[in-house]
Amino acid sequence: MMELIQLRNVLKSYQAGVQQVDAVRGVNLQIKAGEFAALAGPSGSGKTTLLNLIGGLDQASAGQVIVEGCNLAECSSVELADFRLQRIGFIFQSFNLIPVLTARENAEFVLMLRKVPAEKRHARIDILFQQLGISGLEQRRPMELSGGQQQRVAVARAMAAEPAVVLADEPTANLDSETATDLLFLMQQLNREQGTTFLFSSHDPKVIGLADRVVNLKDGRIVE
Amino acid sequence: MLWQMAVRNLWRNWRRTLLTMSALVISVSLLILSLGVFSGMFADMLASATQQYHGHIVISKLGYQEQRQLHDTMQYDQHVIDQLQATSDVYGVSPRLRGFGLLSRDEQTEPAELLGIEPGRERQVTSLNEMIVAGVFPEETRGNWIVLGSGLADKLEVIPGDELVFVTQAADGSIGNDLLIVRGVFKSGDFNRDNSLALVSLAWLQQLLVLPEMLHEISLSINTPMEATPVAKQLAMQFPDTMEVIDWGRLLPEMQEAIASYDVSRLILVLILYAAAGLGVLNTFFMSVLERVREFGVLLAIGMKPSSIRNLVLLESLILGGLSLLVGSGSGVLLTVLLSGDGIDLSRWMTAVTYAGGTIPPRLRAELVADNLLIPCVTLLLVSLFAGYLPARRASRLRPIAALRGD
Repeated sequence: MMELIQLRNVLKSYQAGVQQVDAVRGVNLQIKAGEFAALAGPSGSGKTTLLNLIGGLDQASAGQVIVEGCNLAECSSVELADFRLQRIGFIFQSFNLIPVLTARENAEFVLMLRKVPAEKRHARIDILFQQLGISGLEQRRPMELSGGQQQRVAVARAMAAEPAVVLADEPTANLDSETATDLLFLMQQLNREQGTTFLFSSHDPKVIGLADRVVNLKDGRIVE
Repeated sequence: MLWQMAVRNLWRNWRRTLLTMSALVISVSLLILSLGVFSGMFADMLASATQQYHGHIVISKLGYQEQRQLHDTMQYDQHVIDQLQATSDVYGVSPRLRGFGLLSRDEQTEPAELLGIEPGRERQVTSLNEMIVAGVFPEETRGNWIVLGSGLADKLEVIPGDELVFVTQAADGSIGNDLLIVRGVFKSGDFNRDNSLALVSLAWLQQLLVLPEMLHEISLSINTPMEATPVAKQLAMQFPDTMEVIDWGRLLPEMQEAIASYDVSRLILVLILYAAAGLGVLNTFFMSVLERVREFGVLLAIGMKPSSIRNLVLLESLILGGLSLLVGSGSGVLLTVLLSGDGIDLSRWMTAVTYAGGTIPPRLRAELVADNLLIPCVTLLLVSLFAGYLPARRASRLRPIAALRGD
C-alpha cells in the first residue's frame, strides 16, 4: 500500500499569552491508503492538532505535512479549501451539521460544492443513508435528530465525496457507548467495503480497540 | 443552495430579521413620502409661478423681459402661433400684450399691470381662469372687460359689474384711456400678483396702446415643465437673433436655484435616513456573523471557499434589503398616492407662503416622481450591500481552525 499521509518532523507551537506551547513536537508518521487508524492519548496530547494539520485546517510551525503528495505548507488558503473539498472528509466531535439544512442537504453539501449533478448526489446519499441506517430521516433538520443520528449524517457528509481520507476528531465523545460502538462498526464497514482511509482520535479504550493501527501520543510526541 | 441557505439563515432569527426589515421599510417609505412632499411643494411653487403668470416658456423681443419697454413689440403672426401650437412638446400658446397704468374708480386709484390676452388661448397656458372667486372668466376675445386680482379689487372696492377707468400712455405718445367693466376677480394666493395684475382682452389693449396687431410676448405651456430648457433651445432655432426664447428657469432664477438646492437637500435627507438604517443592518449582520463563527468554520473545513462564505452573507443582506425595498417602496408609493391630488388642506393652521417667485399653498400634497422612487431604492440596495459587506468580509477572512474553536 502506498503512503497517503506523511508527517516529517512536524512541530506545532502556539503562543498562549507570553508562553509558547508546543502542541506537537517533532512528529514523524506515515499512514497508508486504506488504513483504519486511531490516534490515542489523553487530553492535550496533540491528537486534535495533528488531525487539524493533516486536514489542512492549520499549518505546521516546522516540518512537512504531505497528503497524497501535496505539501500543505506550500498551499494558499484557497488551495487548502480546494484540498479539503477534494481529498478530506471531516467528522467532528460535536457533529457540526449546518442547522438550516436538512439531513440530506447536509450530507449532499460537499457534493454540491463539487458541482456533482443532483441525480448522482441523491443516489450517492441514498446508498450512504441506507448503509448508515438513517434512511427516512433525509428531510429532518439536525435539531430533530438524536446525537447518534446527527453523527451518522456527519459520517455520510464526510464519506459522500469519496475522499482520500476521513479525519474524525473524537467522533464518539458525545455519544453513549452503544451508539459509539455502532458508529465505529459502521466506519469500519465503510473502510473495508469502500477502501476509504480513516484516521480518528479518541481516548476511549473501547473505541481504540476497534482500530487496525493505534498511534499513541503523549505531550505532543508519538510514544511506543 | 446559497439562496436557500441565505433565506433560511435570515428566517432562523425571524424576530431580528423582521425588526431590521421594519427599520428599512420605514426608512424607505418615509423617504419616498418626504421626497414626494418636497416634489409636490416644488411642483406647486413652479405651477404658481408659471401657471399663474409666466407660462413655461416665453418668446419676446430681445431684452423685453428685462426692460419691459412698450415699444419692444413683435408682429401678431397667426402662422407662427399655429406652428408653435403644432409643436409636439407644446401644450398651449398665448399671445400677450402688456400695459402699465392707473386704474380708477370714484376716488380710488391704483397702479396696475394690464395683461392683454385671448381668453381661450390663455387658459391653455395659465390657470387664472380656475382661480376666479367672483364673477366669471370671460370667453370673448374682444370687448372692454377686465378681470382683477382680488387685492386690487379690494383696494378699488369693485365687484363684478362695476366700471373702472384705465389711463396709460399709448405707443404714439398720446394718453390712452377707456372704460372697463369688471367681469371677474381672481385670487392666485400670490400677494404681489393679486394686488397688481389685471387681465383684459388683447384686441382692446392693442387698440388703447395704439399697437394694432402687435404683441409683447408669446407665452407657452409645455407637456413636461422640467424639460423647458431643451424645448426652449429647440424653439429658439426657429426665431431670428432679435428674438429670445426664455424658459422658466431664466425667468425665475430664484426658483431654479431653489429646485437645485432641493436636489442637494434630497441627497442629505437620503444619507441621514440611510446612515441610521445602514447601521441597523450592519449591527444585525455583525451579530449574525458572530453567532455563526463556528458554522462558518465547519463550512470552511468541508471545503467551502472563503469567497462563497462572503457571498452567502452578502446574499443575506441583499435579500433583506430587496424584501425591505419591495415592502417599503410599495407602502411609500401608496402613501404618496394617498397624498397626491389635492392633498391635505392645512389652511386652518397656515397661510400660503411666497418663496423664490412661487407660492407654496397651505396644503400637504405629495407628487410621485420617478427619481423619488429610484434614488431611495438604489441607495437602499447599496446601503444593504455595504452594511452586509463588512460582516461578509470578516466571515470570509476567518481561519477555519479558529472559527471551529469559536474564536
